[in-house]
Amino acid sequence: MQSEAAVFEGRLHPLTLAFAAYTAVRRLILPAIPLLVFSDRRLGPAILGVLFVSALAQALGRYFSFRYRVEGGELVVRQGILERRERHIPLERVQEIRIEQGVLHRLLGVVDAQVDTGGGGGPEATLSVLSRAEAERLQLAVGERVAKVGEAAASPNEAVVVRRLGVGELALSGLTSNHLVSALALAGLLWTLLDDFVSEGALRRGAGAVFGTTRRVYEQDVWSTVALTVLGGALLLLLAVTFSVAGAIVLYYGFTLTLRGDDLGRRYGLLTRRASSLPRRRIQVLEVEEGLLRRFCRLATLRADTVAGRTDGDEPKDQWRGVLLPIVPRAEVEELLPVFLPDLEPGPAEWRQVSRLSVRRGTVKGAAVCALAASASAALQHSAYGLWPLFMLAPLYWVNLRRYRHLGYALGERYFRTRRGWLSRSTHLVPIRKVQEVEVRQNWFDRRLGLATLVVDTAGQAYTGGGPLVTNLPLEEARRLAATLARRAQRGMAHG
Amino acid sequence: MSARSLAPTAPGAPTRFAQTAMVSGEESQTIEPEFRPLDPRVVRLWRLNYLVGFGVLLLMLLAGAVTAVLARPALRPWAALLWCGTAALAGWLSYWRPPRLYRAWGYRIDAQVFETRSGLFFHVSRLLPLARLQHVDLERGPFERIYGLSSLVLHTAGTHSASITIPGLDAGEAVRLRDHLVAIGGDDAV
Repeated sequence: MQSEAAVFEGRLHPLTLAFAAYTAVRRLILPAIPLLVFSDRRLGPAILGVLFVSALAQALGRYFSFRYRVEGGELVVRQGILERRERHIPLERVQEIRIEQGVLHRLLGVVDAQVDTGGGGGPEATLSVLSRAEAERLQLAVGERVAKVGEAAASPNEAVVVRRLGVGELALSGLTSNHLVSALALAGLLWTLLDDFVSEGALRRGAGAVFGTTRRVYEQDVWSTVALTVLGGALLLLLAVTFSVAGAIVLYYGFTLTLRGDDLGRRYGLLTRRASSLPRRRIQVLEVEEGLLRRFCRLATLRADTVAGRTDGDEPKDQWRGVLLPIVPRAEVEELLPVFLPDLEPGPAEWRQVSRLSVRRGTVKGAAVCALAASASAALQHSAYGLWPLFMLAPLYWVNLRRYRHLGYALGERYFRTRRGWLSRSTHLVPIRKVQEVEVRQNWFDRRLGLATLVVDTAGQAYTGGGPLVTNLPLEEARRLAATLARRAQRGMAHG
Repeated sequence: MSARSLAPTAPGAPTRFAQTAMVSGEESQTIEPEFRPLDPRVVRLWRLNYLVGFGVLLLMLLAGAVTAVLARPALRPWAALLWCGTAALAGWLSYWRPPRLYRAWGYRIDAQVFETRSGLFFHVSRLLPLARLQHVDLERGPFERIYGLSSLVLHTAGTHSASITIPGLDAGEAVRLRDHLVAIGGDDAV
């Protein structure tokens, strides 16, 4: 490894100060109000002034002392006047360099860059703010260095556009997303808005008026109440759908997926522009998700986990970060997969099914729930008509049968795939060399039926909803499969 | 499917780590070693843990029951019943569970993979490719020291199973196992 002189170095953009001032003002607004109202005429503003000036001084210190350079296989970031801090980040640890632009950033031509390594707990280094050209040069320099240190890169300057999503496709994505979640989010938002802007008295009077009118309508005519409720529900649904569509367009506007060498580049966003580059070799698990509505429209979403996605065990805050493609026709997924997983075995996968007992288990479980619901509703209604949940048994069996047909795994030379679900499906692809640990689990029912669940654990599982998992495998098959996976993972590493 | 019985090795026997016969290219035909059990003293350790834990719980329950009875004397028979019931349950659990847990536990290691199995109601078998081992910790709680035992914690880069704990190993055995794992375990960039 030749020692390289520092080829690339830089500093923060002068506008950093303006942004720091803006952030400081924003942060001080909330404590400012009680301070100004409840304190002395002169003391309040004095305290605010001191806080503001100290924030500004900190920003000044940071701006003047911040230096970064790429040299010798490392990204070195230096900052601080009183307390000098120097951070060395080995380039091969860099998972991703994320670029973000808010509206203000875009107006002024600057970006926020975040360097993500696998450590979890947030970005390793934040460069805020850089000029756009600088950020791209940094991305390129880091990408090139990593390529030299790691595998050979092919034509690093050529970016091939893999996919570009138009507004229509994004609208479709919004239409087919999970509306219940959007409706709840919308309801929550409305609730907080109401809380903030409408006085409590007015709210109470409004609620009383609504209740009064509904009761009067109900007493007059049951059918008009029903009509009113249905209308209200339809209105809420329409609002939720509009919210989803608008949200999808704003979030993913201009989604462009490019491939340069081994780096996947994603660029999207209407108000906040985001750009991130992700080396393909960092992909731990790839998920093809077909939610309920999407499945019936023959669409899918592609998500991936990288190690940078780990968020210390909690729910990932930013679901969109793991998205490779928000929406894609299901039929085109097969030919797209080699773009993300270049050493994927060609040809259709050989899917193996699990034990047929899974149909019986699912039906029995569903039947128990049905029986419970039936007895509860019959007791509440004091009539035999309450037993209607029992009619769900036949469709339940049918759904479980379809689920069984789709449940299974495919073991290839380098990749292990699992798939599950029927109404809403998901398929997981794991590079065997990324397998961290394999588990075979049996609960009490599994033991009685001689079945087991196989779980594959990888690093940074955050966005792929549960990861690779196969239930209802015969025990011996599960054990053999686990042993094979573990040994192949070990051998894969031994060959580097 | 009946549970497999674990053939116990003689206590104090030297550690033997099986070697794998590599067949060219394809899946290696392993001479699979038997699952090694934990140290038998761990049963007493677990019993002690249970007794202490339940003891604290029962004390708190007693305090609660006494205050309830003082407030409302009519509750006396119920409070007494509840407390005695809990005490009986605790005593039975402390007696019954540790030996079964001990029999359910096993681990084995060959040249490629480290495997553990455990669990009474929920059986779990975990296989860890040795190259995935990030680092190994040795832990000894105060009670473990009394019995001369320690726990081995294997850390991986996985998300759900970021660490695998093998409790109740003889202290010397744990150190040997740790040294062996550190020697052959791998460090890899994810």
